[in-house]
Amino acid sequence: MLQVYLPIAEVSVNLVVMLGLGAAVGFLSGMFGVGGGFLLTPLLMFSGVAAPIAVATGANQIVATSVSGALAQWRRGNIDLRMANVLIAGGIVGALVGVLLLRLLSQIGQAELLISLTYVVFLGAIGLLMLVESLRVIQKARAGKPVPARRASAHNWIHGLPLKMRFPTSRLYISAIPPLVIGAVVGLLAAFLGAGGGFIMVPAMIYLLRMQTNIVIGTSMFQIIFVTAIVTLLHATFNQTLDVVLALILAAGGVVGGQFGVRAGQKLKGEQLRLLLALLVLGVALRLLLDLVIKPTDVYSIAPLLAGS
Amino acid sequence: MGNRLRLAAILCAFWWIPAQADEPASQETVQSDISTREIYIQSNFAGIEIVIFGSVDFSHTPSPDEGDYDVITVVRSPAEPLVVRQKKRVSGIWVNRAGRTFQEVPGFYAVLATRPFKAIAPEETLRTLGIGFSNLDFGKTDRDDAKEAAFRSAVIRLKQDQNLFQEHDDGVSFLGRSLFRASVDLPVNVPIGRYTTDVYLFRDGKLISKNESTLEVSQAGFERAVSLVARNHPFVYGLVAVVIAVVVGLFGWVMFRRE
Repeated sequence: MLQVYLPIAEVSVNLVVMLGLGAAVGFLSGMFGVGGGFLLTPLLMFSGVAAPIAVATGANQIVATSVSGALAQWRRGNIDLRMANVLIAGGIVGALVGVLLLRLLSQIGQAELLISLTYVVFLGAIGLLMLVESLRVIQKARAGKPVPARRASAHNWIHGLPLKMRFPTSRLYISAIPPLVIGAVVGLLAAFLGAGGGFIMVPAMIYLLRMQTNIVIGTSMFQIIFVTAIVTLLHATFNQTLDVVLALILAAGGVVGGQFGVRAGQKLKGEQLRLLLALLVLGVALRLLLDLVIKPTDVYSIAPLLAGS
Repeated sequence: MGNRLRLAAILCAFWWIPAQADEPASQETVQSDISTREIYIQSNFAGIEIVIFGSVDFSHTPSPDEGDYDVITVVRSPAEPLVVRQKKRVSGIWVNRAGRTFQEVPGFYAVLATRPFKAIAPEETLRTLGIGFSNLDFGKTDRDDAKEAAFRSAVIRLKQDQNLFQEHDDGVSFLGRSLFRASVDLPVNVPIGRYTTDVYLFRDGKLISKNESTLEVSQAGFERAVSLVARNHPFVYGLVAVVIAVVVGLFGWVMFRRE
């Protein structure tokens, strides 16, 4: 039924299933305010798309969702352009390293494994942290105790670093090194995992750089447009793993799903949302882990020989 | 349909040749053609059945049931290098360990025969002609190396799972004294390229005639354009992909924003 042949992935997929996948991930990302790439790439892998193609196509899909998101944030004045530029500069370096690393790993046949393993580690850790945190908040709220807000300490080691820059929108005067490093890590993850990396960047900017949460979200969404755009370009150029037809189908589903997700998200409390997201993230991590530990039906696999190996 | 017309034309042509021939005792020769010489893969491609039909000139068979002749048809796509990897358990996780590269593995390979082909001709003949999975050489292969043999059979098994390697013992049937047809399903994942179909005619285990035709499998239309641009101008392709994503994102924002 409605099979569509993907010219680069060279597989035939079900149009309805892929539109649904895009919409479901879009719905979740709209609901939880996350990019959704960290769910999309594993789900594409589960549905039979080769890991490197899932990564490149996932990155391209995030460009679309973050343009929508960043525009809304920009209208609210939540973007620190100067900070975004520094993050993007770091992101370009990280993206280049990630793309070349993925190419190397594909040649020696370890890309699938390392992408899965990295996902298991990141999704497992973040899922657990969110699960514990949201359960604690829900429990305290039931007991009727007030929930103390986390307080950022005024000074930390970050302030001892050189190369200080002024970020007027965030009202910060800090070294450019931490944002450069955060940008580079996010670029690396975007290139390697096909995920926007918001799940790393948002907590890092809040807790390390002491930025305001609303500016963090806006700035993160804005810079991720550029980082994933660069990742898309690099994967297309160096690895030829980008399937534009698949990306378009996913993006079309994603944009529509995202809008319904935002509305659904407004009906739930923050800690309930985080609990749901934590369970979802843990579910994906568990499925990836099971695929790694359960004996495969055939221990042999075949792949076309890649140029340069 | 063009195919049916062509089949009819060939049928008529072959029907008259034996009657007109002055020497009915001449050496038999085989003629063949394919129902479709070009296959275009487009977005709605879901696999296709191709029919190879042919005829034995100067057939000596008195009736179709006598079965003096055996026909083996081999359909194959260009050979390409392939890596096969073996997973081993390393501290609880299945990891790709050993690997082998075979330089010449046909992307698609099918053997069709009137009866089990191993009974048609001696092993040596089959080996020289590369008929049957076990007689494919995949470039340079050391058949005596047990490990190499395991990788070889893994390639064959995995290709069979994807329907890219097929052996059909009853894939060719005679329709008359001299006319035969064979059909094979090309699955949705067929590789593109120029395929060859070799038709071998055997009598009493001896190869008496051979005929070859080709079949072009290519991407077409939008799919072809996309993969050509992706291969030849990857940067432009990536740029277009980014622009499309930005436009989709803008579109979504304009459509659904709530003022």
